[in-house]
Parts: sequence; C-alpha cells; structure tokens
Amino acid sequence: MAFVVLRHRDILDIKKLEVYRQNGGFEAFQNAVKNLKPDGVTQVVKDSGLRGRGGAGFPTGMKWSFIDSKNWPHYVVANADESEPGTFKDREIMESNPFQFLEGVALACYAVGANSAYIYLRGEFWQLAGFLDEKINELNDAGLLGAKLFNTNYSLNIYTHLGAGAYICGEETALLESLEGKRGQPRVRPPFPPAVGLYNKPTIVNNVETLTNVPLIIQNGAAWYKSLGTPDSAGVKVFSLSGRVRKPGNYELPFGATFRQLIYEHGGGVLDGRPVKAIMPAGASSSLILVDEKALDTPMDYASVRTLGSDLGSASIIVIDDTVSIDWVIQKTIHFFKHESCGKCTPCREGTYWMMNIAERAHNGRKDPADVELLHAVARQMQGMCLCALGEFATMSVVTGIDRFPSDFKNPVNLQEKIV
Amino acid sequence: MDKQVTLTIDGKLISVPEGTFVADAARMADIDIPVFCHHPKLEPVGMCRMCLVEIGRPIRDRATGQFVLENGQPKIQFLPKLETACTNRVEDGMVVHTQSESAKAGQKSTIEFLLTSHPLDCPVCDKGGECPLQNLTMAHGAGKSRFLYDEKLHLEKRKPLGELIYLDQERCIQCGRCVRFQDEIAGDPVIGFDERGRSMQIMTSSEPGFDSVFSGNTTDICPVGALTTADFRFGARPWELEEFPSICSQCPVGCNITINTRREAAADGSMVIKRIMPRQNETVNEIWICDKGRFAYHYTESKGRLTRPAIRKDGKLSRASWDSAIKLAAENFAEAGKNFVVLASGRLANEDLFNLKSLADHLKGDAVLYSEIGGGELTSAIGISPDTNLGEVGPGTTLVVIASDLYQEAPIWYLRLKQAVRRGATLIVANPRQTRLDDHASYVIRYAYGDEVKTVHSLDKKNKIGEAFTRSENVIIFYGSEGLGVEGSAALASACAKLLNEYGFAGKPNNGLVGVWQRANDQGAWEMGYRVEADLPRFLRGKVVYLVGVDPAGDDPRLAKALENAKFLAVQDILESATSELADVILPAQAHTEREGTFTSGERRVQRYYPALPVLGETRPDFAITAQIARQAGFIQEGTSVSAAFDILSETIPSYAELSYSKLAEVQPQWPVVGRGDLYYGGTTYENKHGLGAHLTTTASRGENVHILRVHRESAPRPQENELLAVPVTRLYDRGTTVLPAKVLKNRIGKATISMHPDIAERLNVKNGGLVKISFDGHSGEALVQIDKTIPAGVVTVPRSMGLAIHEPVPAKVK
Amino acid sequence: MSLVDPVIELGRGLWRTLSSMFERTVTYQYPEHKRTVRPRFRGRHVLKRYDNGLEKCIGCSLCAAACPSDAIFVEASENTDEHRFSPGERYASTYEINMLRCIFCGYCEDACPTEAIVLGDNYEMSYYTRKDAIYTKDMLIEPVSSVNQTTPQKTPTGVFTRSVPEMKDAKD
Repeated sequence: MAFVVLRHRDILDIKKLEVYRQNGGFEAFQNAVKNLKPDGVTQVVKDSGLRGRGGAGFPTGMKWSFIDSKNWPHYVVANADESEPGTFKDREIMESNPFQFLEGVALACYAVGANSAYIYLRGEFWQLAGFLDEKINELNDAGLLGAKLFNTNYSLNIYTHLGAGAYICGEETALLESLEGKRGQPRVRPPFPPAVGLYNKPTIVNNVETLTNVPLIIQNGAAWYKSLGTPDSAGVKVFSLSGRVRKPGNYELPFGATFRQLIYEHGGGVLDGRPVKAIMPAGASSSLILVDEKALDTPMDYASVRTLGSDLGSASIIVIDDTVSIDWVIQKTIHFFKHESCGKCTPCREGTYWMMNIAERAHNGRKDPADVELLHAVARQMQGMCLCALGEFATMSVVTGIDRFPSDFKNPVNLQEKIV
Repeated sequence: MDKQVTLTIDGKLISVPEGTFVADAARMADIDIPVFCHHPKLEPVGMCRMCLVEIGRPIRDRATGQFVLENGQPKIQFLPKLETACTNRVEDGMVVHTQSESAKAGQKSTIEFLLTSHPLDCPVCDKGGECPLQNLTMAHGAGKSRFLYDEKLHLEKRKPLGELIYLDQERCIQCGRCVRFQDEIAGDPVIGFDERGRSMQIMTSSEPGFDSVFSGNTTDICPVGALTTADFRFGARPWELEEFPSICSQCPVGCNITINTRREAAADGSMVIKRIMPRQNETVNEIWICDKGRFAYHYTESKGRLTRPAIRKDGKLSRASWDSAIKLAAENFAEAGKNFVVLASGRLANEDLFNLKSLADHLKGDAVLYSEIGGGELTSAIGISPDTNLGEVGPGTTLVVIASDLYQEAPIWYLRLKQAVRRGATLIVANPRQTRLDDHASYVIRYAYGDEVKTVHSLDKKNKIGEAFTRSENVIIFYGSEGLGVEGSAALASACAKLLNEYGFAGKPNNGLVGVWQRANDQGAWEMGYRVEADLPRFLRGKVVYLVGVDPAGDDPRLAKALENAKFLAVQDILESATSELADVILPAQAHTEREGTFTSGERRVQRYYPALPVLGETRPDFAITAQIARQAGFIQEGTSVSAAFDILSETIPSYAELSYSKLAEVQPQWPVVGRGDLYYGGTTYENKHGLGAHLTTTASRGENVHILRVHRESAPRPQENELLAVPVTRLYDRGTTVLPAKVLKNRIGKATISMHPDIAERLNVKNGGLVKISFDGHSGEALVQIDKTIPAGVVTVPRSMGLAIHEPVPAKVK
Repeated sequence: MSLVDPVIELGRGLWRTLSSMFERTVTYQYPEHKRTVRPRFRGRHVLKRYDNGLEKCIGCSLCAAACPSDAIFVEASENTDEHRFSPGERYASTYEINMLRCIFCGYCEDACPTEAIVLGDNYEMSYYTRKDAIYTKDMLIEPVSSVNQTTPQKTPTGVFTRSVPEMKDAKD
C-alpha cells in the first residue's frame, strides 16, 4: 500500500518542489482555489472522517466549519510544537515531505478564508524553521503562495514562528498567546479559537500530521480516505514507536492495525525477547495499558484503545517490558510535567511539584506505603480541576500506574538485575 | 437598562444583568463563592481554581431552541467536572451549586494545594488579620495538610520590587492580580511573571523598580501578604488599627481615604497615622488611590508644627495667648479697610474659606486664592453638573484634556479617563509634549506652548477631531496649567467655556468644564467667589495680609520681599515656614486630619472628612480662628460648630444650596462590594460608611444665564537669541511641604529636573543627567537636565514646587 | 448556769492556745524566707531567649490581641543580619506590659507562636507610681549568661530566616 503521509518513503525526492509537483503536488490546491468553494473543501474533509492527529482526535472538518464567519480576518495556525515525549512524527513529515504539509496548510487556509497562516515550531526546531522558510520562498517564487493566486482574488502567505521551548505551547490557546508575543500560558476556554483565537480573531489550529493528510483527501476524494482505517477512525496514522523495542521509529499504518502488528511485525519485537508489560499509547500523557494477550490484539483506533482504559492521543507508542519498574516510569513523567507546568493554575503548579516530592521520596530512600497512597490521592485531587489538559495529563500515568501495577510500588523492579 | 438573566444559586432565584460572571452574581445575592485571582474590577483568568462550583445548564432542544422539560421543569445538565464561577457567564435557567459535596471538595483541594508552598508565617505577616488566604482557609480549608513541612520551598522573603513595594516570594500564590491591575487598570505594565511552574515569580521590568504611581493599590488587592508597602512594613497588626474616614488633601480629585491610626512608643505614646487606605467611592476614586495620597501623609506629624500662638514683640516672635493674638490681628484687619487682603490656600476646608471670604467682604477687603491657575469662576458657571460619573461615561461622551498631564497632576483622573476609553468614550488629549494619557487617547493634538486658545478654537473644525467633538452627546473638558500662568489659564478656560456653551455641553450630567487645580479645595474657593491675582508681589506690597495655609515667602523670593514690605502679616498655618518667620502674629491651625470639615473636589463634589488624630497643642480649626477674629472686629460668624458653619455657607452660596452635613454623610450600596467581611473579593479597601458626598449645582444646571467674558491674553513672551522659553509643568512628587516629609518618597521626589529637546541639549553641550544653571526673571537656580525628544525645541520645561520659582512662561537662560 | 461553767470555758480556751504552741507553723518569715510556688503558678512574665541568645519574641502582637485586659503593647521592627534580635524578619522593638492591668490569666502564653512569653515565678511586684507599673522589654527579657549572647547580634546571612520554629505539640 502506498504511503499517504510519509510519502517520502515511496518517492525519495519529494522534498524537491518539481518532484512534488510531478507527483500531483499542488493540483489539489490549485483546483480548490479555482473551482471549489471554501465550504466545498470543508465538506470533503468533513466527509472523509479526518480527525485531529494532535491528540484530542477532534473531527477536523467540523472544527473548520465552526469558524466564526462574522468576524474577520481568519487565521490558520499549524501546531508544530511537537513536544510530547515519545512523539517524533511531525518532525519527519516536515523534514522529508514539507510540500505536502504546506499544501495542507494552504488548503486549510482556503477552506476557512484565511489569508495568513503561521507555523508555530518548537524552539528546538530552529533548523527546521530555516528549512521551511526556504520551501515557503520556493512556493512564493513558483506563484503557489502570495497575492492573487492562479489569477483569482485569493491571496495567501505562510510564516514560520519559533517558540521558546515550552511544552505547554503545544496547547492551542497557550500557543496562540506565545504567538502573540505573550507568556505561553493557556487561556480560559470557552471561547474556543474558531471563535476567538489569534489576536482575538477566529483561528483554526491544526496539527502538522492532520494538515498533511488534507491534499490527498482533496485529490482522491473523501470516499478513498474513508476506505482506509476503521469506521470510527478513518484513514492512516503515523505511529511513533519507541521504548524497549528492536526497531523504534515512525510507522504509517491504517487505523485498526493491532499493537501486536506494530510491535512485532514492524517494530521487530521487544529487546531481549522479553514480554511487553505495559504500553503508553500517547507518550508521557498516557494512561498506562496493562498488557495481556487481549490487549496486544486490540486494534489501534480511538474507540478500541478507549476500551483498554486509555487514549490513543498522538499515537506515540512507548513499549515497556518487565525490566522496567512502573514507579520509575511515573517518577520520570511527573518530573517532566513538573518541569513543564506553566504555573498559571494552582492544582497543576502545586500538584506537580508536590507529586514530584512524594515520588522522589518514595523512589529514593523512604519507602512508605502511605506515600504511594498520598501520591495517588494528590493525583486524583488534581483531576478535573486544572485550567488546561496538562494538569490532567500529569496525573494519567500516576493514577493508572498505581491502580494497574500495584506490585511495582511495593517491590520495585531492580533494573540492573533484569537487564543482565 | 441591561437585559436581566435569571438563575438559581444554591436554591436562591436571582436576577442579574446579562454578561455577569457567576462569581459576581453570587456575590450580588450575598452568597460567598471563594476567589483569589478573580477581582470584580479585573478581567477573569480562572487561574487559582478556588471558585470551583457545579454549574448546570438547561438542555435546549436543537430543533426548536426550547428548554427540554422534565416533570414540568427544564432538564438541567451538569458537566462531569467542576467549573470556575469566575469565568462562566450567567445564562437563563442556570443552576449553580456552591455547597455540594464535590464543590466543597474542590475548594478544599485548592486551599490544600495553595498552602503546600505557603510559608504559614501569619504571626509575622503584615496581612495577617486581613488576609483572604487566612480567612478562606479557615472557612473552606482542611484542618491539616498532608504536605511535609520540611519539604516547603524556601524563597526570598524580602525582595524590593521598588523602594515602595516589597515582595515576599514565599507568600505569593501567583494569582496575578497585581500584574493584571498594573496592565488593565493602571496602564503601567511594569511588573510581570518570570519563569514558569512552581518557579514562577513576580518581577519588575522597570527602572526604577515598580515605576508606577498606582503601585500601592497592588498591596490592597493582593490576597496574601506577598506585597507590602515600605511605609507600613511591620508597622502594626491590622486589628490594632483604628479607622477614620477622610478625604485626601493632595490633589483636586478628592479621593476617599481611611486613615488608620495607632499609638506609637516613638511618638511618646500618642496616636499617629500608620497608613492611608483607599475608601470606596465609585463616583470619585472607585477603590484606588495614588501613591502620593497613600504615602505623603507624614507632614501633619512633622516636628515643625505650629502649636502655640505668637506675637512679634521687639522684632522677635514670642509666645502669646490666643486672646491677645486674635485681638491684635482683628485690630489690624479692621483698621486696614480696603488694604486688607485674605490670601488663602486651597488646602482649607469650605467652611474656612467661607468664613475668610465673609470676613474680607465685611471689612471691604479682598479675598485672593493662592493659585497659579485662573478661570475657575467659569467652572462654577458651567462646571460638571450633578449626576456626573466619570466611572460610567462611555460611548457618546467625548473627554478633552488640554494643557494638563493628568498622570502627574491628578493620577486618579488619568485612571478614570483611561477606563472610560476602554468602555468606549472618545478621548482627545491636547498638550505640547507627550503625556502618559496619549497612549489611550483617540486623538492627540500637539500644539506649541502659547497656542492653547487657538487649539481650543480649532476643536470644532471640520475634521475627524471636530466631528468627534461636535457630534458627541456629552463633552467634558479638563483644562490645566501646563506651560501657563494665571492669565494664560484664564484665557484657556474662557475659550473652553465658550465652546462648551456654544454647543450646549453644559448644565447637564456628564458635561462641563473641569479645572485641574493644584490643591484639594481650590474648587471650593472658586465657588465662594475668590479670585486669583496674576502679579502677587506688586499686589501685596503695603497691604495688611491674612495668610492662611500658604507659604509665599518659601515659594518665591520675590514674594518674600513683597511680604517684608507689607504693612502687617497674620500667618495662620499648620507648619513653620519662611512666611511664618515674617509674621506679626502667628495663629496655629489644626491639620485636616485633626478636625472635621468638607472639601469640594475638582469634579465639584462636596465631601466630608472626619478627625483622625487628637488635637495638637493649642491649635484651633481655621474657621474658628477666623470667626474669633471676626467677632473681635464686630461681626458674628459661626465659630464653634463646623456643621452649622456649613449650613450658613449652603444658605449663602447658591451652588451649595440644600446641602447639609447629614446629606453629605448619606451612603448608597456600591458595586463591587468591599469591606472587612469581603476582603477576599474586593481587597482591603475600606467600605464607605460615612458618606459619598454630593455634587454642586452650576449656574447652567440651575437654568440661570451664563455670561462668559472673552479673556485676552498677551501672547507668550518671545525668548531672545541664546534664551529658551521656560514653561512651568506640574509633577506629582514635588518638594511641596506636604510631600517632602514622606521619607519613602525621597527617591521619587528627587532633584529639580528640567527637560529639553536633544538638539537644544547638544547646542548647550549638556548630557542627560547633567547639572545646569537656569536663570529667569532675576531668579536663578540649579537643575538636572533630562533630555526628552517630545519637548518642543526652544522650550525648557521647569517643574513647579521643586525649588525654581516659576509661575508662568518666561524667557530663561540655561548654562 | 452554774458557777464553774465560766471556769471550764476559760480553761478550754486557754487549752487551745497552749496546744497550738506546739503545732507546726504555717506562716513564713517573708522576705527572709520565700515559699516555692506551684509548677503552674502564673507570676510575672519573662521573655525567653534561644540558646544562642536570640530573642524568641518576634513582635507579632498576638499576646496583645489575646490579652483580656489590654495590658500588653507591642511594636515591631525589621531585623537585618547585621542587626538581629530574633530569627526571621520581625522583632519586638517595643514590648510593654502594664502590671496594674494584668490579671495573670496566661492567655498571652497560649497565644504566643514561639513560646517567647512565659509567666514565671516572680510575684514580687510593687511600685510607687503608675508609670513604674509598666514593665518594658529590658525588664521582661531573660538575662543572658555571656556578653556574646546579647541582642542585637550580627549573624551570618541566610541562617535565621524562619520566624516561627517547628515545634512539637505541647504535652503539659
């Protein structure tokens, strides 16, 4: 089967504009601008069943249709602040298949009537920003971006913007604050960005992978895309596989492929042939899946993963085998979220700090069962109280880890012992 | 009136205006939803998560838009998680539970989280006793924390943000109220958050630190003891303080304040002022005061207070009895007849000014207000009318500020005008140089010093500004004395008044002329019929002068000379001064903190102040001293009861008609609710229980005929070659006798600084901060130079009351 | 009534006098001899110090707030490491108790967050003037055993940052 998002794996030089155009590049955009109404583009995306690839899985076409058409101008922002531990798909897409991504941005802009789009990249992607700037210039030179495109009245410019290295700026409202030059802290929602976004104007924020799907959907039609994947989750997904597997990396598979297929067929199985103990399906923000035979055969789509008490999220599959102690895992995730909490809301600012204190105490030195209970209680106490999702994410692995792997907290697995 | 929305909070059915937040709606209905980051004057942010409640909304049928019914009642849908009451607006049919198990658990959790990093050093905290965190912990917190005390964060406990405000990083709960106040209300975004997560801290980005004249207000709205003022730091525990309502005497805004007093060992066990706090009056100062009003109160406790009457004998001042002092003054006044002059200050109460004026009238003398701004009689004719509220003006109202830097001259007016623009009012700022209000103005007009009247004449021209002016429903003009003397400001006032009258912007609410006076009660003096004198030195020569609350000799050597040549000087004041040295008789008066009285604010609101401190020595209130002199001169005045004196005043002066002390003491419920029981909500601002005051009527609002004389004025003097035009400007922190004793303000007062354009500085070969000698009008002094490219070339601005005796534009030499 | 009755009564009276001459005395030869007070006796207040000589009192004025007869007057000032009286930021620059007003109820002890004020054993208070009845801080503060324990002290930075020490719950 041909690749949809990771097309550079089929067509090696697709990062060159002429190669991309030879393979049908920018036909979808040109056709849309010349022959389709903006609503028509949105309708195709809606029909295709494309859902946001950033983690929340919100139907993309529906998001586009929410844009407030009474308030102008509109903006499109590509969320390239890929900071979730275990997620590395957007980087590969932008590095190797940049034009398909940029065409996706352009199509989104046309669909919602935006004349400017921003690509918000995490600070560490500074090289990538320069690379994308080059590509955007090429498009401008080729007349595929800029004023009065294809002899119509539609104009479009795309700009890149570098963040300063905060995980929270992947949250869409914090991203917008940061883009406006303010502190990267989430805003109160509602209102949501399609109503009040960048500079208080209606804004669509989409993940890089989501947008990269769009050109082929417009080109090949909604029905084609829908035929890939499962009824609940249409199309293909790039799974970032990492952890204790032989061949970690990005794998583009249709939704519905099972964990077993990903880990054993594509990822070459677990290191040292050890059994899979747990899976974190959405990077550090995941609820830990307690892995048994049934879990391994669960198809990876939004609905099925939910039956395992977790969420597919951004599909950053971190594989944990029996050499790894879950109390060590959650200590790492807590440390990450404590470091990345923006500090705006109380439960997250204080809760992550408090959890880290307890986790460190419980992990090094003081082994008090009451501490594990307290850790669980603090995490539960944070749930449902925070301003944005970061605070919730911080508690996922803690609560599920303690609930599903209680023995790891009583007798932590000795790493050294198992690895040799 | 706004559309009303009906909702149920804790089973109580209430109606509130559309767009209200649930937290505010609950407060209106007297239901407590605890908050930290939310403040009714600030935009909501939903940061602290203290106001978590259960909010249910009626389900609407998608097709019909009607409520879905269940058992005849709308079906209510609750979200699975708690929501913040401060960010959700009310909706029809909404149901809110603030006391349910889960809501209470949420509030308890937030308190527990907040206290994990809080040092719990309430015994040494200045906020202890009036601390929202303390109160809400008692009301909503768990009795015990599960957090290990040893693991508490230790941070800096004494971090000066500036020399006025200190930050305790441990106590800060990162609610951002201070940051948002500075940004949204004050328009001085000089503090902000640094770092993120648990390391997030308040920092200042200005030099000098926390460079804002509203900085003290952040300590009022801070819900913990993180921000404290240098002045009150460890001064007293809040519960030990006594509170006395008063009116700020520093500028014409007339901010309502509360004076907190306490015994002090250093003052030998007598009562002293420990701090000045704002007192709510939504029509005057809302819940804010400026730093000058907050910190510059020490003058009443200064060592140089006059406490005993004195008479000059054999060229020396010696102690005398009240009777003999009054007798001597009365004899000399009565003899003088036409040569008798009352030179009174706008620091006096209405009753004092009234008695002084009637004494002058009775003796056929003259009553002169000691001020450098003319044209005040016009504010009495077409000034602001009753029912004006700057806090409510919005679309349809045009506010004009001409020849005044409100940020420096009347900070609270600056703040109120800025808020009015936010609500949709149009603001036109006309000034020769850039002022802070320019940032918020809809239109900025720059004119050359001397072109003030011409600028006013062009306000109704056919252009954008003219349209904004003429098409407005309401227009208020604030005129000041930037670069003007008595004659210049009188001409400006007359031009403004004529324009307002021509377009009918007079005699109705939210219309009229406002003078940005130099002192708190200048407006009162204008209402009584005082006049100003442009050439005081010549005028005073050979006269019998009754100087009340003024220090001309200290302000200007030319005036000192004129007073030396006067026939007889009676000085009635609170402080020793250069003028009191020259006196033939000294009559020690009580400071306004020691007595009762009323001030008339620049917005023509009469407000009462009450005694806060015990009477000092043998001092007497001004109106009583004047009445005793009058009695000696055979003229009966009210000299015992200040309220009776006010009654006579209100019978005599038409604009004060029908007012009385009891009317001035009336209060009405105000929004937002503040007060000791609601500290967490509005801050430590005091509730107004002692009167909101009352507006004066104007000639125009009474429907009488208004005559406005056209005042001609000599054009500004032309400086010769190698001269500059020195123009007077007003600074907030000056070297006036009421400001200088405030030691905390020492750095803000600084040295006399003149400003000039960089080209001029280059020509004179001076650098920024360099010392120069400036001489004008036979007077010279040293000053620091500030290079400012917004100052027109050929001009040097000279601050008033900073040691350089400037009264009007004069050619000056700078070396 | 017989003639002997008064004699008997007189004899009984004299017997009581005589027998009490041989009982243990209950009076003390005060001031030569002083009675030891009970453990919970509440006498004149003492302001305590830490072992290093720093004052325990932090000038929080809670004793004054707790005092039912308004006998205590406290004024606070700020410590610096150069000029330190007590741990933390705040110390009592003025501490006065009006012994004429004090009812020795001990509420001040209960209110004190640092256990600085303690009602001691001393009950010998007499004064000729009302002013003498006001005990100032130098009269109340515990004497020091050596010169380098007097306050103010110069202390290293960052050591005495806490006003309120961590204390066990009182047992007695």
